[in-house]
Amino acid sequence: MKATHSNEDVKAGTDVVLTVTNLGVGFFPDSARRYDVVRGVHLTLRAGQTTALVGESGCGKSITAAALGGPLPRGMVQDEGEIRWAAGVESRPGRGLAYVFQDPGECLNPVFTIRNQIHEVLPTEERGNAEERLVELMRQVGFAEPARVLASYPHQLSGGMQQRAMLAMALAGRPRVLVADEPTTALDVTVQAQILQLLKDLQRQENLAMLLITHNLGVVAAMADYVHVMYAGQIVEAGPASLLQAPRHPYVQGLLRALPRLRGPRQKLQGIEGSVPPLGQRPAGCRFHPRCPVARDICRQREPEWKAVDDQHAVACRAIGADGWE
Amino acid sequence: MSTPLLQVEHLRVTYRVARRKVVAVQDASFVARRGRCLGIAGESGSGKSSLARAILALEDQVSGKVLFDGQDVLRQTRAARREFRRRAQMVFQDPLGSLNPRLKVGAALGEVLRVHKIADSRADVQAQIARWLTTVGLDPAYADRFPHELSGGQRQRVNIARALCVGAEFLVADEPVSALDVSVQAQILNLLQTLQADCGITWVLIGHDLAVMRHMADDLLIMQAGEIVESGPAAQILENPQHPYTRALLASASHLESAQNGL
Repeated sequence: MKATHSNEDVKAGTDVVLTVTNLGVGFFPDSARRYDVVRGVHLTLRAGQTTALVGESGCGKSITAAALGGPLPRGMVQDEGEIRWAAGVESRPGRGLAYVFQDPGECLNPVFTIRNQIHEVLPTEERGNAEERLVELMRQVGFAEPARVLASYPHQLSGGMQQRAMLAMALAGRPRVLVADEPTTALDVTVQAQILQLLKDLQRQENLAMLLITHNLGVVAAMADYVHVMYAGQIVEAGPASLLQAPRHPYVQGLLRALPRLRGPRQKLQGIEGSVPPLGQRPAGCRFHPRCPVARDICRQREPEWKAVDDQHAVACRAIGADGWE
Repeated sequence: MSTPLLQVEHLRVTYRVARRKVVAVQDASFVARRGRCLGIAGESGSGKSSLARAILALEDQVSGKVLFDGQDVLRQTRAARREFRRRAQMVFQDPLGSLNPRLKVGAALGEVLRVHKIADSRADVQAQIARWLTTVGLDPAYADRFPHELSGGQRQRVNIARALCVGAEFLVADEPVSALDVSVQAQILNLLQTLQADCGITWVLIGHDLAVMRHMADDLLIMQAGEIVESGPAAQILENPQHPYTRALLASASHLESAQNGL
């Protein structure tokens, strides 16, 4: 079997809720031009497990998430691959699938109360006598005074409270998959820890499959079971979250060296030369080759090959493995 | 021991919001030592940016003293203020927002060189621009590009060049790498460190990331709700925090880091 990064057959026994095979998204700004935004993404989301998509800005992680159910930005089309829901799972956005985004202040409507906004996303059959369900949702996301928060407008809540309200909205449709797109990036570090803990608790209670999108490797380590690292629209390394202890892809290794630390020796930071290529300027061959310290001619000419590090951990890099040079 | 380049005494910054007075910074006193990096850390709303703007005389309702090289910058003559504006510079968080979209990189640098009369002849301006672009790690050919043609890291390099090309001795960087990707963040932090060593710059780094502070700052102030709650050598504060708020900040930050180390 050809090695890929799909984590199919891993941990048999947990329910697969959603499978993404060879997903590709193209951007068509006009009839003449076409750009690859995301190519060849495989994902398997399981109930009660967290899969993290990590990468720098513009690597395609949010577009991958949007392709699962939300509308793609204007001009973008899923032109390759398949998104398959498990039998019997309601797949409509807002029901089977819910999103939480980075900036809760932007996502909430400033002119409606929290009660109004959550009520609006409740399934129709629950809207009639909704008070009990609203209070239950508020308690689930950790509000001690549900009535007061329900009556509030978004600006009366702090950033952390707004994000809790967003989570209550996400849970209103009883989703099976929760996509959390940089859920704590806009929050202060002390609040961040609370929200991450809440996400964990909710996942356990509701047996949610979670797709966590972040650029923060610390958040991945604290939350994820699996991790997929993206670079310039492709996944470059995938496996159990513990792979971040000893990543094999030169990009992922570089990311870890670039990170300032609170502990350990105070060394000079090592950045990765250059920057992420923008859409339309992505190089041929391996997309990381212009910044890669170990790139050879073949990396400039041909796409990288998937190499299995072990049965769960795979890397898209020619330098790795028996026929590699690293 | 030389006197500190910047000495701040009982600084208070207020804003008027809907006819009410809001205190952004309360009774701040500290020094920035020559050739060192002073870190100011705190969460959003703690007053760190107000403090930064106040020491550069960019805020109106300020009381207290800000002594720059012995002179109070809050009570200056016009000529002295002009000289202060040259010697003390700022770099902001949003590298694109702080560049004029209609000026090429060379024009942006040329403008400040002429305003501060650093270079007058055309050839001299060109030479200075080329020299500073090289210093911040950009090819001099970038002088011909517009800001939108550059990456985030390159834009921030231009901002740093623009700040330093007038012969600045004091630089305030307000979250200079927060908008950048991790791999580029390290490049810019390293550049700032090199400039500190090579040009003898004294600088203030405003930020929320304690790991960044640990790498960059010699001295550190921790702010909470407008007050400095802890100050001292950065290594000492991060090793052995005294104030409960500093401890809480460190605990939250190192929780994620230990998760990463101990997977």
